[in-house]
Amino acid sequence: MSVEKQRALTLSLTGGVFAGDKFASCLWIIPLASGFAVWEVVTRLGMVPSSNLPTFSSVLVTFFSSIQEPSFLLRIAHSFMNLICGLFLAFSTALPLAFAAGSKNKFDCTLTPLIMLFGALPDLSFLPLLVLWFGPGNVAAVIMASVAGFFPIYFTVREGTKNIPRELFDVTSVFRSDRLSTFTKMVLPAISPHMFSGLRLAYDFAWEIIIAIEIATRVAGIGNFIEGNVSAGSLQSGFAAILAIAIVAIVVDRAFFGSLESWAKRWA
Amino acid sequence: MENHVELSNVSKYFDAERKFHALHEVSFGISHGEFVSIVGPSGCGKSTLLKIIAGLDKPTSGEVKFSGGPVCGPHNKISMVFQAFGLFPWRTVLENVEYGLEMRKVPKDERRNSARQYLEIVGLAGYEHMYPKQLSGGMKQRVGIARALAVEPEVVLMDEAFSAIDEVTAEVLREEVAEIHKQTGKTFVLVTHNLSEAIELADKVVVLSSRPARVKKILPISLDRPRDRTHSLFVHMHMDILHLLKEELENTLIRHKLRGMKELEALHDMERPKDEAQPKQTLAAT
Repeated sequence: MSVEKQRALTLSLTGGVFAGDKFASCLWIIPLASGFAVWEVVTRLGMVPSSNLPTFSSVLVTFFSSIQEPSFLLRIAHSFMNLICGLFLAFSTALPLAFAAGSKNKFDCTLTPLIMLFGALPDLSFLPLLVLWFGPGNVAAVIMASVAGFFPIYFTVREGTKNIPRELFDVTSVFRSDRLSTFTKMVLPAISPHMFSGLRLAYDFAWEIIIAIEIATRVAGIGNFIEGNVSAGSLQSGFAAILAIAIVAIVVDRAFFGSLESWAKRWA
Repeated sequence: MENHVELSNVSKYFDAERKFHALHEVSFGISHGEFVSIVGPSGCGKSTLLKIIAGLDKPTSGEVKFSGGPVCGPHNKISMVFQAFGLFPWRTVLENVEYGLEMRKVPKDERRNSARQYLEIVGLAGYEHMYPKQLSGGMKQRVGIARALAVEPEVVLMDEAFSAIDEVTAEVLREEVAEIHKQTGKTFVLVTHNLSEAIELADKVVVLSSRPARVKKILPISLDRPRDRTHSLFVHMHMDILHLLKEELENTLIRHKLRGMKELEALHDMERPKDEAQPKQTLAAT
């Protein structure tokens, strides 16, 4: 195997742009730390009123005390559960439709323009209606999250299905694969990189929607916690909650969806 | 002895209105252990013909028989090597070779063993756990060949199997395929646009006409193997087939030209007094 190929392989396996260079892969910490330092200095020196921005250190202190409170953790869990339910709903509706659209041209022509139209609408514009129909609660949040997550899953899986080379279908026929095997052993692995990319995007989209809904409709999640504390003047708690969401969102994105995606792309 | 594969009056239209005519009453036989090359002008329907033999496509009329029985769908004893290799990129080399056996529900250990055997035959022992993207084109096609052989077919169909590979690698691979053919005595059908390749490998070259493809000529090749491309008979054969194909190509071009000319003439006719419409004849004479 050539050197380039080997390098490309390590690159794709580690999934990083900076693979092989540990120092370079940690460089992002510098601007992040400087950002926090500037924040600390600016607030310490009183250049920003503390009613608008608390010191970074006080946010950290609040963060570490908050994450020891069960009620705080429960709120995060609540939002996370709504998000996961929404994602599950999005996945289970988008997947079959996307398969059908990707493999049957007529179905694609019937359905996809509608989905594009629907997708062009700002998702949150439906929120008041959902609240009217289902009340301001988990149901509305889950449905909204599933709407947000539907589009990336639908379009990536449809694209993936369309991109399967015709020749591979001939291969399955020549070797007399039955329908089920063709699906599980050919179509599914062929689209899995697309599918996991879509799922990851959907996860990112759904977080935004979930927080927005909680703020707008007072569903008892972490978004609602931020809103409540900020309007009550407790900015430290608000920032601590943002930090907590950021950590959950990033860790799950990287550790779970990221590694799922690079696993699915191990051969690509 | 009865032919291994028998095509009788195979015609294919791609549309229900019967306008797009791909194959016209193609008939020829392939005997047991024979290596047949099918050549023809590009786009003439060679690959369609191969797909019909493979049972991947149905003829509009006519019939393909395999060992005396009609072919109506992919057959256990007919296997195929694909132009773009047709490997599953998410499967390792070994898993790709196992695929056909897996579809036949062969137990894992057994299929693993025979896959290894065939990998050895195509010279890929030691590459079992690589993914296709780590292989060169020639190596990928070796995997394709091993996969086709692993299901122990009686007939191996090759659709432009060497055309996506660089020339030197392709030449080596051709020699190996010739060797496999000699050793196994399986029937091979190769569709190709490479005339030297067709002659080098085949016992018989079927020359198809331009669309709709008919059998233009069947040339038996009785040169000794391994074949020398510089041998005068080889060169002669090559010239013959080239001549036949050029003729076909020219026919097509003239047909197209004539059609174009007729349309032009029709235009002129409208502008010209009727008694002057003479040039048609001279044109037809060319």
